[in-house]
Amino acid sequence: MSSDYQYHKSLNWEPEDLFSKYSFTQLITTSDARLLGLKGMLLALIMLAIGGAMAMTMRVELMEPGIQFIGPKPYINAVTLHGLIMVLAYSVPFATAALYFILPTTLGLDGIKSPWAAHMSFLTLILGGVLLFISRPDFTWSFYAPLSLRVAGDIVWMAHIAIILVGISEFLGGIPLLRTALAWKKKTGGRWIDMPLSGWGALTGGLFLLLSAPMLSLVGFIMLTDYLEISAIFEPARGGDALTFLFMSWFYGHPAVYLPLVPLIAVLYHMLPRLLGRNLWSHMSGVIAFSALFLVGFGVWVHHFQPNFTVHSLLNFFFQFMTMLIIVPSSLHVFNWVASMWQGRISHETRATIPFKFIAGAVFMIIVGGVNGYLNGNIAVDTDFIHNTYWLPAHFHAMFLGFIGMMSMAVFYSIYPFVTGRMFNQTLANLHFWLWLPGIFSQVMLMFWLGLTYHPRWVVDYLPLPEWVTGQFWLSIAGFVNGLGFLIFVINILVSARWGKAVTGDPWPVPDTSMADQAVVQPAE
Amino acid sequence: MQNALGLMGEQYILFGIMLALGFAGIAAMFFALFTPGRWKVPYSMEVIFALVIAAVTFGGALVSQATVDDYWSDVPNIEELAKVSGKVAIDVDADAFDKVVTAYLYQWGFIFINPDGSATRNALAVKPGERVLVHVTANDVIHGFQIPAVGLTTEVDPKAVRSTWFRAPSKPGKYLIQCMDYCGIGHHQMKAWLVVEGEEKDEGEHG
Repeated sequence: MSSDYQYHKSLNWEPEDLFSKYSFTQLITTSDARLLGLKGMLLALIMLAIGGAMAMTMRVELMEPGIQFIGPKPYINAVTLHGLIMVLAYSVPFATAALYFILPTTLGLDGIKSPWAAHMSFLTLILGGVLLFISRPDFTWSFYAPLSLRVAGDIVWMAHIAIILVGISEFLGGIPLLRTALAWKKKTGGRWIDMPLSGWGALTGGLFLLLSAPMLSLVGFIMLTDYLEISAIFEPARGGDALTFLFMSWFYGHPAVYLPLVPLIAVLYHMLPRLLGRNLWSHMSGVIAFSALFLVGFGVWVHHFQPNFTVHSLLNFFFQFMTMLIIVPSSLHVFNWVASMWQGRISHETRATIPFKFIAGAVFMIIVGGVNGYLNGNIAVDTDFIHNTYWLPAHFHAMFLGFIGMMSMAVFYSIYPFVTGRMFNQTLANLHFWLWLPGIFSQVMLMFWLGLTYHPRWVVDYLPLPEWVTGQFWLSIAGFVNGLGFLIFVINILVSARWGKAVTGDPWPVPDTSMADQAVVQPAE
Repeated sequence: MQNALGLMGEQYILFGIMLALGFAGIAAMFFALFTPGRWKVPYSMEVIFALVIAAVTFGGALVSQATVDDYWSDVPNIEELAKVSGKVAIDVDADAFDKVVTAYLYQWGFIFINPDGSATRNALAVKPGERVLVHVTANDVIHGFQIPAVGLTTEVDPKAVRSTWFRAPSKPGKYLIQCMDYCGIGHHQMKAWLVVEGEEKDEGEHG
């Protein structure tokens, strides 16, 4: 059985220093799945550093009301680049790269299929990122037309091309995921439901990428032709319609949030039994949750601009209900993880392991950020205090920073000994975790509070209302705490790669608690 | 919906459900992490869990829809709105609203146009407890129209007219009106004031 602990236990790489084993050119050009994954993750972490620097700039400016350090234009440049980088250049590439890394091992294959697509995806993303930085857009990460056709100066077309390239990059990045999952079926001939959950993540994650990313490229292309005045599809001044833009761009934009989520859930399903030292609570539950999330995930995108006045109210109701329904498959995942932890003793060794701490933090944050999806989908409440107040950033920071950020750290810390042959410094890593957990939690809570007090998004300056001033001040402090945690992480991984303790054998030895289970298990049936 | 001071209304119960779900989830996780685990959760429990969540979800969507339908039932229908676009000639039942105004959103401010053609910039004067119908419109980019004190947000795309109504706060004073969609470099300055003036109105008058 694929969720079997013994199976996961056998999935181990030998700790080795890949960086000294291969030359730089080999690291870049080889089609080895682990190296492909590693270079994707490293690029994503560089992007995380850049996006984080943007966040720190914003937090310094927002610490007090008024405009102190940077004006509205550089501020909105920072906001735009922060959003675009964190979603498109950090979260999605990191999650897909992490899955490239583990897939061949968990599915028992020689490597990932179509590595050329992974290479091309990597290169296209770099090209798109460079164009984005040069054009310095100021139309926020959701680039609403017609605003995005008119601002950012004479080189805004570069940003439009960058959007096209990012769409192509994500499409290409999805090909290896889907094909590798299909290759498992071809090789083993097993039933679909027996496929390891990492394979299910690759299957649904790959389909998410392949089906949604072309729309992003199309939106970018139409923005370009609209800007060049070849067409006027999004430009209301020349006969177009901004609603067309909203419908098209969110058709990508909503599934886009599952692009990093699904692969990292898959990685969590791989890591959790391994670290707990026993079987997952239920394999079947994970299969159902992945499939249901995929099916529901494509039917919710209109909630980003609800209520929609040009469709029947029943359709609005449908999208509202589907949005709230997302909580069912997501909570099936969480239920499975919590039940797996509940099932037996968690050994001291597991508890002390850095990846396990980050996994626990990620599950905590997905509960915090996930339950308020129940409220967000609700048109009545959405029209009251949710739409474009700080409540919304609170929700997606709990998910992106809380779950995806924490999970990516869990992944990176756990593969670190396998790719450097050395162990990172435990004290610094613990410090990183204990800065991030309270930092992210209080950041998210303060954002919720600001949302409840109707603080608008995307503002460089705000009215000196007492609740806003206090909220923003402590929000900045929480942001700096997270920034400090990341800085410690960077120092740790750089220094330990050279001077860390060399490891051989299994770097994550945890006792087998599956036997202990049987001794205490009281079947409730 | 007689009292549109925020669409939150009956949704407080949903807020409570959300908090309960969150606390239950976190508590379950903490118990699993920090107390010695004991047994394997039966599979039937997850089925019950999923069914409960699905039922709570459907119920919540129905409650929300009822609130929204109730609110919109007071707003004039779409055919009438199509005639309004840009013009101030609005055919609305005079009894339904105490004041009808067109809000014109542009980069970066608000103009409120009264039916008689007079206009105010960045200030909307209303009487306490009045029912006010606002036809929100924009001509350049997507804007948002939010009055935090009455708990109402309306997003308007260029050339469209979105009608929204609210009941003015009963306490005289200045209340914030703000733009909720990023609309360019002056977005943070795009604010106006809802000025509630004069004597407080008799509550019985509007039932």
